[in-house]
Amino acid sequence: MDALRTAASGMAAQQTRVDVIANNIANMSTTAYAPRTAVFADLIYRQEVAPGAISSTTGTVVPTGIQLGLGVRTAAVSMDIQQGSLELTGQDLDLAVEGKGFFEIELPSGERAFTRDGKFELDPDGQMVTPAGFALADGITVPNDVRQVEISADGEVYAYFNDAVDGQSIGNITLVSFVNQKGLEALGGNLYRQTTASGEPTTGQPGQDGLGFVQQGYLEASSVNVVGEISELIEAQRGYEMNSKVLSAADEMYSAATRIR
Amino acid sequence: MDNSIALLSRQSGLLEAAQVISNNIANASTPGYKAEGTIFSEHVAAAGSNNPSLSMGHLTAHSTDFTSGSLKKTDAPFDLAIDGAGFFKLNTAEGPRLTRAGAFSLDAEGMLVDMSGNPVVDEGGSAVEIPPDASTVSVARDGTISVDGELFGNIGVFEPVGEPVRAGNNYWEAPEGDRPVETVSVLQGFVEQSNVSPVAEFANLIMAQRLFEAGQTLTEQEHSRLTSLVEAIRQG
Repeated sequence: MDALRTAASGMAAQQTRVDVIANNIANMSTTAYAPRTAVFADLIYRQEVAPGAISSTTGTVVPTGIQLGLGVRTAAVSMDIQQGSLELTGQDLDLAVEGKGFFEIELPSGERAFTRDGKFELDPDGQMVTPAGFALADGITVPNDVRQVEISADGEVYAYFNDAVDGQSIGNITLVSFVNQKGLEALGGNLYRQTTASGEPTTGQPGQDGLGFVQQGYLEASSVNVVGEISELIEAQRGYEMNSKVLSAADEMYSAATRIR
Repeated sequence: MDNSIALLSRQSGLLEAAQVISNNIANASTPGYKAEGTIFSEHVAAAGSNNPSLSMGHLTAHSTDFTSGSLKKTDAPFDLAIDGAGFFKLNTAEGPRLTRAGAFSLDAEGMLVDMSGNPVVDEGGSAVEIPPDASTVSVARDGTISVDGELFGNIGVFEPVGEPVRAGNNYWEAPEGDRPVETVSVLQGFVEQSNVSPVAEFANLIMAQRLFEAGQTLTEQEHSRLTSLVEAIRQG
């Protein structure tokens, strides 16, 4: 009955692929969203006749043998953090990273999370926070009597007070990078958490060590390629149909077998 | 009764062929997967001097279609595809394994690993470790890795000595060892797709199914023939 299970594993794999694509398309307008891809691997093989088995007393060997594959499994759903295009918003506290850096966010639990979504607001105390109200870990607080905030490409934050002509530095924004960005754990809300796979974050000044400069007044767009996703969706749908067809063909063969008296 | 036995081996072989086809279709989206084929051969039994020989068709071997799959452009820096012959080599807990599925990434230490975390090796057989502060990593056509424009190392491409054995998880095992290929051709930002042709597989599946049904019908007819024979003897 292996063929039934094999076809079922194929259907399950294509289903996973459709789930991943659906999530990508749903997030086509999410700031700094990184598209995911499902990657498959073949399952183990049942060795009926191992290749290289000796087939006669003169020492001849079976060149290819019989190995029956048992289907497919999802090996990984990998995240592909790419540079999205930058969208002009003109907001003082909207920041986009041109490079591989992440902003460091302090969660209410005290734990650190990371994001490429540079949409920041001020909370009642003047602190720079994410739309969910989580503080930027660099602890930038903009005083009440500031008319304008300028953030330089290397992350220096200048405040222009109502009673002064020149700006005054009130802190700087740092970025962090990971050796393996794909190893980050997505928390939802555009936030990621470090894992043993991602490695420890390395903190640095924007523009150094490939972290990328910060662009004020821009947000990074989602890097979902909609055309690519749709063609993948069609492929997955056809793949699903083919596997279900195999399932019914195998079923017919087994039902023919049960007809033997 | 001999003909029923001959049929039986054919029928069980056809079921195995259906299994191989369903595995191919299930892996139509598996990167670097190579389609399998089945080879039936004649097995001659009881070929005495006066007896008519009885041949049984049975499944003896598998063939593997090693043609390249189509390449999917991903633009990810660690997605690598081999254009032409050869395999990437991984150091796994079970020993070296070969793979055509080049969807690699870095681990926490900057080591180039596959989806299961097994390190990819270079020509010399040692793991490839990319420095953590690298901003651009490029892999040239001949497998040379450069980091931020500086020559860094290479990606090894190997070919098995003798026939490779499927080991699952997109891996192949080379029981007789492997050697580096002479001309390496690696493409960065691409992943090789499965080379399964769904149309051909379906044609094979329908054929296997119809042959199986024909076999069943023959068995049933044989059954009624024998029944009527037994019936005739009893009444006679």
